[in-house]
Amino acid sequence: MGKRSGRFRLLSLTRGTPMGKNDYIGAGIFIALGVFIWAVSFQFPVLAGGHPGPSLFPRVLGTLFIFFSLIVILEGRRKSKTPPAPAAEDEGGNVIIIREKNYFNAVLVIILIAAFIALAPHLGFIITGGAVLFILMWKLHVKPLKNLIISAVVICLIYSVFAKGLRVPLPHGFLWW
Amino acid sequence: MLLTPTTFLTIVACSLYGLFVGSIPGLSATLAASLLVPFTFFMDPLPALVSIVSMSAMAIFAGDIPAALIRIPGTPSSAAYTYDSYALTLQGKSQLVLGADIIFSAIGGLMGAAVLMTSAPLLAEVAMKFSTFEYFWLAALGLSATVMVSAGSQAKGAIAMCLGLFLSTIGVDITLGFPRFTFGSVDLLTGVSFIPAMIGVFGISEVMRNVSQRQMDFAITKVKTKGMFAGVGKLIKKYQWNMWRSGAIGTFIGVLPGAGADIAAWIAYAASKRASKEKELYGKGSIEAIVDAGTANNACLAGDWVPALVFGIPGDSITAVVIGVIFMKGLRPGPMIFEQQPEIIYGVYFAFILANLLMVPFGWLAVKVSSQMLRVPKNILVPIILTVAMTGAFAINNDVFDIITLGVLGIVGYFMERNDYPVAPIVLGLVLGPILEQNFMMSMIKTDWNLLLFFNRPISALLGISTVAMWGFPFLMAFLERTKNKKTV
Repeated sequence: MGKRSGRFRLLSLTRGTPMGKNDYIGAGIFIALGVFIWAVSFQFPVLAGGHPGPSLFPRVLGTLFIFFSLIVILEGRRKSKTPPAPAAEDEGGNVIIIREKNYFNAVLVIILIAAFIALAPHLGFIITGGAVLFILMWKLHVKPLKNLIISAVVICLIYSVFAKGLRVPLPHGFLWW
Repeated sequence: MLLTPTTFLTIVACSLYGLFVGSIPGLSATLAASLLVPFTFFMDPLPALVSIVSMSAMAIFAGDIPAALIRIPGTPSSAAYTYDSYALTLQGKSQLVLGADIIFSAIGGLMGAAVLMTSAPLLAEVAMKFSTFEYFWLAALGLSATVMVSAGSQAKGAIAMCLGLFLSTIGVDITLGFPRFTFGSVDLLTGVSFIPAMIGVFGISEVMRNVSQRQMDFAITKVKTKGMFAGVGKLIKKYQWNMWRSGAIGTFIGVLPGAGADIAAWIAYAASKRASKEKELYGKGSIEAIVDAGTANNACLAGDWVPALVFGIPGDSITAVVIGVIFMKGLRPGPMIFEQQPEIIYGVYFAFILANLLMVPFGWLAVKVSSQMLRVPKNILVPIILTVAMTGAFAINNDVFDIITLGVLGIVGYFMERNDYPVAPIVLGLVLGPILEQNFMMSMIKTDWNLLLFFNRPISALLGISTVAMWGFPFLMAFLERTKNKKTV
């Protein structure tokens, strides 16, 4: 139990990870965004008297993106000089190892959203939404029969609430579902 | 009007929904609020707002249940006293902990409601005299406070805020009606739709985070509810001063723009420890810590509504959602709402009181069925959340483009959270961006581009100086730390 609880603690209560390569990449992306905002803002018109109009606020933001990204880089450089923290331990002194996460499932969520956008107007809400539910539950190890029943019931329920109850014109597709 | 069956049923249904979401670790009150918004779209303004009030009050309390039973806070607001709750559970005192959680949450909530009811109308009168300068500084102060209280790096919090502000600039600009950052897309002319963006940032990113964790279920034991409130009366008597202090701390933190219930709980916890005669128990099973932090986080909720209703400045991420709902209903948050729609304001007061009174029986019920609630398999719940989120985003404008917004913002939110960028400032930036820019541009034009005149009026000067001081604070601290380090070397 001790070891199990320790892992839970790390997953749920602490959010910080040491500054690393990702911070530099992230800061680089935001600096690029700041430069991009500045570049695009030159196309915006100016107010009477030559004062900046629509471009003023975006330019301030572009500058702030660059400024704060540079601070993130500086923080990263400072933290990389400090020695790494010792491995986390639970109450019994056992080293806690966080298991690798399943990032494919996160990618799958994006794929399913994209598939829903592309297919719902053709196949209709019930088929596409039901398929999204079924595929994700299948990837999360829900047993096939249980999965099928839950997907069918839940999608019909969501359809009833939104399409019938709230009168939202959900995509109906060729079957008019 | 306030006690219509619809309003009452909305409060009851949303309370149960809040209890359910709040008690499941990994699902936050903000996620619950964002998933509720598509439904509020179809409600009248009053039930729409009271639904969020009752849901959030219950969710913040319900976060205490898994904290006590499995040492995982249901929402971040319960994180401060999770170790204490769980340690007392291990000592066989789970009934007392959960009973105290319910009662002190309800007391805290009622204290916050009392402050909301008394201070909001007074502040609204002051706010009537506000001009564009004051509104600009208030929005800037709110955003700065959000960055200051961000967990981890404040620079990352500032970047997240800038991202929200940048998203708010997409679409037709307010000064010349020029389309900015639309790149020829007709869908972007009206700007980034707030509700799909918010559901994406909070909902989709949480779905992605949950599905990428291998461990999704929890093992817990059955909870006994008999005699749950038996020792709570003694606790109220013993810790009445703590209760008042933490209620005041929680409400004050709530009134500050940008700081939410989790910050209130941590500050009340620290204040409690400093004042306690049993400091050694903190973190190892202190009921006093639970009394203090549990009172503060629920008191904070009503406090958060003060700046949201009076100035249109969100107190936390949930009230950012509330402001979005108010705009969606064709109303404008600010002092005028007190004069023009008093029934809405009274409805919000009423909902806070009723929700906190209902917390006692509903809380008891939630604890009683908590074994079952925590057993709801997340591998079924999370796909349902994804489907409801997509349907809800579509339902706002009946437009597939909103699902694209949802997906894009979900991906952005996920990657930012993974790299320790807080996501709440994105939503606050998106909400406050138009207020900030509009008041800034109007003030600039009024003063003929003289920034010094932003400090010309007394309240404006006070707010401006406070904001600038807040910007300088991290740099001052860094400078002092470096000077201290040099001296020690």
